[in-house]
Amino acid sequence: MVYIRILENFWEAFLLGIGYTLLLSLVGTVVGLVIALVLGVVRSIKTTPQTKLSRFLLKGGQALIQLYVTVIRGTPMMVQAMIFYYVFRRIGLLWTPLEAGLFTVSVNTGAYLTEVVKNGIESVPKGQEEAAKSLGMNRFKAMSLVILPQAIKTQMASIGNEFIINIKDTSVLNVIMISELYYVAEDAAMRYSSFLEAMLIAAVIYLFLTYTTSKVLKIFENKLGVKALEIVSSN
Amino acid sequence: MNPIITIRNLKKSFGDHIILKDINLDFYEGEVVCIIGSSGTGKSTLLRCLNGLEAIDEGEIVFDGSDITSHKTDLNLVRTKIGMVFQEFNLFYNMNVVKNCTIGQTKVLHRSPEEASKIAIQNLEEVGLRNFIHADVNKLSGGQKQRVAIARSLSMNPKVMLFDEPTSALDPEMVGEVLETMKLLAKKGMTMIIVTHEMSFAREIANRILFMDNGIILEDGSPEQIFENPIHERTREFLKRFR
Repeated sequence: MVYIRILENFWEAFLLGIGYTLLLSLVGTVVGLVIALVLGVVRSIKTTPQTKLSRFLLKGGQALIQLYVTVIRGTPMMVQAMIFYYVFRRIGLLWTPLEAGLFTVSVNTGAYLTEVVKNGIESVPKGQEEAAKSLGMNRFKAMSLVILPQAIKTQMASIGNEFIINIKDTSVLNVIMISELYYVAEDAAMRYSSFLEAMLIAAVIYLFLTYTTSKVLKIFENKLGVKALEIVSSN
Repeated sequence: MNPIITIRNLKKSFGDHIILKDINLDFYEGEVVCIIGSSGTGKSTLLRCLNGLEAIDEGEIVFDGSDITSHKTDLNLVRTKIGMVFQEFNLFYNMNVVKNCTIGQTKVLHRSPEEASKIAIQNLEEVGLRNFIHADVNKLSGGQKQRVAIARSLSMNPKVMLFDEPTSALDPEMVGEVLETMKLLAKKGMTMIIVTHEMSFAREIANRILFMDNGIILEDGSPEQIFENPIHERTREFLKRFR
């Protein structure tokens, strides 16, 4: 039977593929979140600064972030991966496909999560910032100690969802020859000329990964008590 | 005695809507001042100007020698000396009770964690919440939340405490515990400026009452004077509704 032959000869490659897929999606989500935290905070600033220079820097920065979000969300990750990989090689950065892949997923996730972080910040009641200010906290302390922790908590579901999307969408990185799960499946398919069987195996593995991940995230969310925040500040 | 807060020619508007018209006031250490008046007369806005939560359009506010409206003044430093209690409590919902009371001390005043938690626990004891130090603030009642908010402000050792309608968001049966806590604080000599609709409480706790109407301080006097012999017809009308 062809399934058994594929698994017999490719089980190590599949395991490695799972490893690459998880590495890409995990690192991509974490780094993307870090990018998004910085950009989301800048995007959410509404007050106008005192000096002309800082006003220019803020408005310019916000416009650039908007451009980044629009371009990344408006183009396929497969195309982004190709462009990043080859553009940087052309300008002399001889990075490996894996490095280019990690970069691509991070930049891509960063764009999606920037909006998520901004929405999270806007969902935190204004009184939280006022209370922080009234204790003498500056903007940075109020943001990092009070507002962001609550913003992230309200958006945990979206962030977890982004991780699950990444597990599936990193399959497009086969175009820059990273031996993640889909790449392995395609390799096996061609070896045995049995595309359907190899892809079914890949599909089952992907489903297993996304299903277990979503279950783990649910447990994690419950532990964090994400529900608790929905009780707003009235008695 | 020099006033702790001096307000001169304070003006504030939101767009075309003028909220405060030329306010001039002095507050002294040890005073317990209640600001009363109808909704929308600028009471809360005036209070929020005192710690710079609202930017003012014109005038001057001097707190303990520093002009808080000047760009040269470190407003964050001034704010550590002015406690504020909000109508909606505004506890930090990502922290437990004691953390709410230590975060400002450690991160702003740079006190050691040990010292901060000692002070926090003292103040929580003061407001009657010694047994709740590790509780989740989301699970507290409104009255308990507001008492934590008071302890949080007290833990910064402020010179003045501002209260912005501290009982207006509470169920009636919880108003008492918060007012009792405030009376205790007044007895200890804390300088307090309170915006409130609780007239009998104001009369009991305050040694000075400000009646605000339409963006000005219409009357400024002792509780006896304001409640027994108001000068203006407008004040009499307002107080009649509470009899």
